Amino acid sequence: MKEFINIVSDPVYSFTGAIILYFLALKNMTFVGSKKFFMILATVVVLFFGWAASDKIFFTIISWPDNIPITILLVLVFWLTWYSFYKGVENDKRIESGEPPIEGTPENREKVWAWPNLVYTELFTIILGTVFLIAWSVLFKAPLEEPANPTWAPNPAKAPWYFLGLQEMLVYFDPWIAGVLLPGLIIVGLIAIPYIDINPKGNGYYTFKERKFAISTFMFGWLVLWVFLIITGTFLRGPNWTFYGPFEFWDPHKVVAANNINISEIFWIKILGMGLPHNVLIREIVGILMVLGYLAVGPFLITKYWGKKLLEKMGPARYYIMVYLILIMMGLPIKMYLRWFINLKYIVFMPEFELNI
Amino acid sequence: MKNEPGMAYNTKKLNKFFAVISVIFLISVLWMVLDDFIRPWKVVQIKALEVKKQVLQEKIEKENESINNEELNQILADIKTAEKAIADKKDVIDQINEDNAVVEKKIYVQNMNNGIYGSKAGAYQFKYEHYRVDGKEKEASKYKVLMDEMKEKFDQGRDELKALQVEEKNIKEKLKNIKEELTDLERSLKKQVGAKDLLVQSLKGTKKDFIWFLRNGPFLDYLDPTIKIQQIVLNNITDDRYFRQTEKVDRCITCHLFIGEKGYENQPNPYKTHPRIDELAVGLKSAHPMKKFGCTSCHGGEGHRVNDFNSPAHMPQNEKQQEEWVEKYHWHEPHKVPQAVYPLQYSEASCVKCHRDVERVALADKLNHGRELIENYGCYGCHKIKGYEHLKKPGPSLLKINAKVSKEFIKNWIWSPQSFNAHSRMPSFFGQSNNKQPEFMKKNITEVNAMAEYIVEKAKDYTPFEKYAGGNAEKGKQLIQTVGCIACHQVEGIDEPYNKVKSQKGPYLSGTGTKVDKDWLVSWLLKPSHYQEDTIMPSFRLSNAEANNIAAYLLTLKNKTFDGLTFAEIDNDTRDEILVEYFSQFEPISLAKEKLAKLDDHERTIELGKRSIGKYGCYSCHNIEGFADDRPPIGPELSAVGSKPIHQFGYGQQVQVEHTRHAWITAHLQDPRRWDIGVPKPFKDLNRMPNFYLKDDEIEAITTVMLGQVSDFVPLAGKKLLTANEKIVEKGKKVANKFNCYGCHKVSGFGGKIAAAFEDDLNMGPPWLVNEGHRVYQSWLHNFLRNVHTIRPYMIVRMPTFNFSDEDLNSLTEFFKYESDQLTFDNPPKIVWEPGEKEAAAKIFNELACTTCHTGGFNSDDPQGPNLHYAKTRLHKSWIKKWLTNPTAVMPYTPMPDFWSGGTESAVEGVLGDDPQKQIEAVAKYILDMGYDKTPPPL
Repeated sequence: MKEFINIVSDPVYSFTGAIILYFLALKNMTFVGSKKFFMILATVVVLFFGWAASDKIFFTIISWPDNIPITILLVLVFWLTWYSFYKGVENDKRIESGEPPIEGTPENREKVWAWPNLVYTELFTIILGTVFLIAWSVLFKAPLEEPANPTWAPNPAKAPWYFLGLQEMLVYFDPWIAGVLLPGLIIVGLIAIPYIDINPKGNGYYTFKERKFAISTFMFGWLVLWVFLIITGTFLRGPNWTFYGPFEFWDPHKVVAANNINISEIFWIKILGMGLPHNVLIREIVGILMVLGYLAVGPFLITKYWGKKLLEKMGPARYYIMVYLILIMMGLPIKMYLRWFINLKYIVFMPEFELNI
Repeated sequence: MKNEPGMAYNTKKLNKFFAVISVIFLISVLWMVLDDFIRPWKVVQIKALEVKKQVLQEKIEKENESINNEELNQILADIKTAEKAIADKKDVIDQINEDNAVVEKKIYVQNMNNGIYGSKAGAYQFKYEHYRVDGKEKEASKYKVLMDEMKEKFDQGRDELKALQVEEKNIKEKLKNIKEELTDLERSLKKQVGAKDLLVQSLKGTKKDFIWFLRNGPFLDYLDPTIKIQQIVLNNITDDRYFRQTEKVDRCITCHLFIGEKGYENQPNPYKTHPRIDELAVGLKSAHPMKKFGCTSCHGGEGHRVNDFNSPAHMPQNEKQQEEWVEKYHWHEPHKVPQAVYPLQYSEASCVKCHRDVERVALADKLNHGRELIENYGCYGCHKIKGYEHLKKPGPSLLKINAKVSKEFIKNWIWSPQSFNAHSRMPSFFGQSNNKQPEFMKKNITEVNAMAEYIVEKAKDYTPFEKYAGGNAEKGKQLIQTVGCIACHQVEGIDEPYNKVKSQKGPYLSGTGTKVDKDWLVSWLLKPSHYQEDTIMPSFRLSNAEANNIAAYLLTLKNKTFDGLTFAEIDNDTRDEILVEYFSQFEPISLAKEKLAKLDDHERTIELGKRSIGKYGCYSCHNIEGFADDRPPIGPELSAVGSKPIHQFGYGQQVQVEHTRHAWITAHLQDPRRWDIGVPKPFKDLNRMPNFYLKDDEIEAITTVMLGQVSDFVPLAGKKLLTANEKIVEKGKKVANKFNCYGCHKVSGFGGKIAAAFEDDLNMGPPWLVNEGHRVYQSWLHNFLRNVHTIRPYMIVRMPTFNFSDEDLNSLTEFFKYESDQLTFDNPPKIVWEPGEKEAAAKIFNELACTTCHTGGFNSDDPQGPNLHYAKTRLHKSWIKKWLTNPTAVMPYTPMPDFWSGGTESAVEGVLGDDPQKQIEAVAKYILDMGYDKTPPPL
């Protein structure tokens, strides 16, 4: 069983699994948003952790002081996601039957004073938060290590937990993409959401059906990409950033085959059976065309087949910004699959210009 | 219940909730404070108070025993009487005290006034000078008046003060006179109970009273705690903090509180006193006082970390201790510590860090043993190790091997040296844990055949210059035992006590009769350098008969299994297969095969032989034709192996071996091939480090040396720097060690192993060389080592003739010279006799009957001491005097009587005014005066 979990935890399977599960959940939102589903899920999770924690390696990994925030994050993400869906599903049912959402009922629209209702409870939260932090800091010592030694770096060298998703992206992209472009676009994209999303529905109340597209897209980026990559980077990456199953010993000498090749090599050498052209642009022409095609032709195809209505609704500026953000977001899973299936190193490989995609 | 309008919650409930969480908050803050306050090291210090109390009480009891109660009572009674007497003079004393008080008051006032006058005078002078400089004469003269006035007052005041001080002194004198008796008595009381009082005083310090709790309580302990971290800060030794060297801070004494105090030797750790505290370390008078060297400079570990048992990276000695620690302290392996504390048995490793360029370190027996083993086993042959470069290749030269042993023997021997001679230091390459599979064995057999063919073919011709003529084995055995062979060799079949020497400098002689050629043996014994020029084996100036006798004995040592043993034939297919593998290293197999085809059968064997010798590194230890002298040795350099990060050690599949340097080195020495077990490797990549079959104590000693080979930076101020002279001495010591002078002679406290054979009478064994540079003239020593002659005719053991190079010989004589701070050239002093001195000297010489033992040149009795006539060219006069003054202080075992009782008593009554110094001077002169100007003829 542990062996099986170790194998399916490999991103190839687990990432695919996560995507499939995510779309299954979207399809069956009524069930996912029910208390019954939560009970089942909670039982499964508790049973799994109860069983898995008896394994020494698994326990060491989740209880490592560095990793505790992620363990907490896991629980909170489960709970909060489900809770918002639960609320949304409930409201959806009400709206379908012609009732206002719960937040819109007269008794919930009644106004109360900020003092003491808000300020007092905020004080409680501050106190309880402080108590929690004190208890945490006493029970789990700060994971401080020895003075930095340039000749003896920690292996694995891991970023702070909240950056582990970014670090995981470094496996698939050059630093300028994974460390600069993508994080920058994440921030820009998050800022842009209120300007792009002009759907007035769901304002002040939970709903799923009325904002299906917006929620699905955002949650894909958040759950499947961001949270999943953090989990992978935290629990499943060991020495040398090699993948280790949750029950696998972190043997620093684990050997994995990682011989990756570029599109140019596939095209010129494997397919055409000739040497690489000397001219950089000619050499990389396939990759460049692919990237340009993805970015230039992609939006038109999307519009042609799916997005006509949205285009009309949103206007071209909003619409195309959104499409580009989505395209770049989808670039990550696309590159991940290319790496796994055809050992692709770079689509465009131009170290001459420090430009590798 | 419905809430009030505008309210989402019930306020009363909110208040209650607020109260509850406030209490929880308070508790969590207290918890945090306590968690910060309670530290493991504090517990240790509190327990230490009990330990200290107990030790102090014991000391007080002991002190009580040593106090003479009768005397004490007498003193106390006397004190009472004296006090009474003083009480009677109360009026006088009161008067004196009153006078004193008046004078003291006056002095106080005068001092105050003088201060005012002085400072004002200074201020006026400053102004006066400045106005002068500015040319304002008017103002200047005004201030000059003021200044002079104040100066005058000051001078007057000072004079008055002096008068008052005289007065005060007189008054005090009066009081002192009255109290004199009492003061004396109190002084003798202190002599009796002073030590005890001090102990009682310290005992009070161990009390945990209210003040103690206050000082050490939470929130208050920042003021003046008694329970606190103790530390040593060193400015001469640094810690490597990667980006800079910082002063070393050792806080070990926070828990090891009594490490520098005597009297805690029997306490358990951490309350123990340091062993050899006055000699080795910690003590102020020791070689490494704690305040100057700290703790981790020697012991390793993170001395600045103090929180709990695990923080300084303590390391257990063995599994048992580890279990104990896990239970007691939750011990775990330290993480990422460059150098954890050395397990106790390896403590001496860290000597090397500072004591560089020396071969032996005083007080470090295990380390010295380890270094000796490395020299004897020849680890330095294959592995470059700093400090061993001067030694010759550990194995014998194979350049003329055909004259010595047969080809068949070579093959059998290479295959398994230990099965021929269990004590062999030639290690085993074959039949090991990684190559005993049949397919590897087959290849190995082929390689061994080829190597032997190569060695035999390339060896030069050598014809022994002497033929074995047969001899008396029994006499030979006697010679081996007595002439000095045992200083380097252990020999099979020799008797007690000669077999107790157990020297490992030369090979253990066993099976010699099976191994070597008869004629070669005789020639070798007669003149070793004839066969191998750079051999360290000396000539004992044996006669032909003696050499034949010794040879006769050695030839009786046979190895029945090896006699007539034939080695498996070479398998040509296997040979070709291995060769193709070699050839195809950089070329495709087809080319390699072509290359092979060009060679004929014999060439192929020789080619494989050469390749195999290169592969196994035979040339690292043996001189072999075709292998250049500067070819780097086969093994990796070990000069800094003690600093090699643990993750750079390869463990293969040996999961049971601990991940520490010492565990790896130990495991490696136990079975060097173990790292290959379970790892699928092709034949050519198999680990080649041979097996020496070391014993556990040997492994521990060698591991100690290896752990000490560190690359740590030690500031110049922190390490032992050799002076120019000491460097010369160390160079000489290296030569002395290379030629095994230490095998026979105990030189400055080191060596003299052969003494085990002379336990009954050390005087019959090779002499100790104590301050040899002071004893003999350098020119004499130089001449003697080239042309050995008889000094002590009563000895059977011989000083051999070594084949020293000029450089070696100079190093040796300089070693003795600088060790004793002597001049290079000096001549015997001119003897000038005082009137009557010579006659007196002759009288003493006769009365003490010197010629009973020192018969040489006086009578024909058997001599028991050196011939005194040769002292003139050999001995320094000052040394002769030192010797005569106290011979046993120089050589404890000498039969030479101590005539002058250490220079304190006259040896012969009524001569030279019974002054022992004059008598000794006269005898020394007398001996030199009679001396010959020549040395005895060389042997």
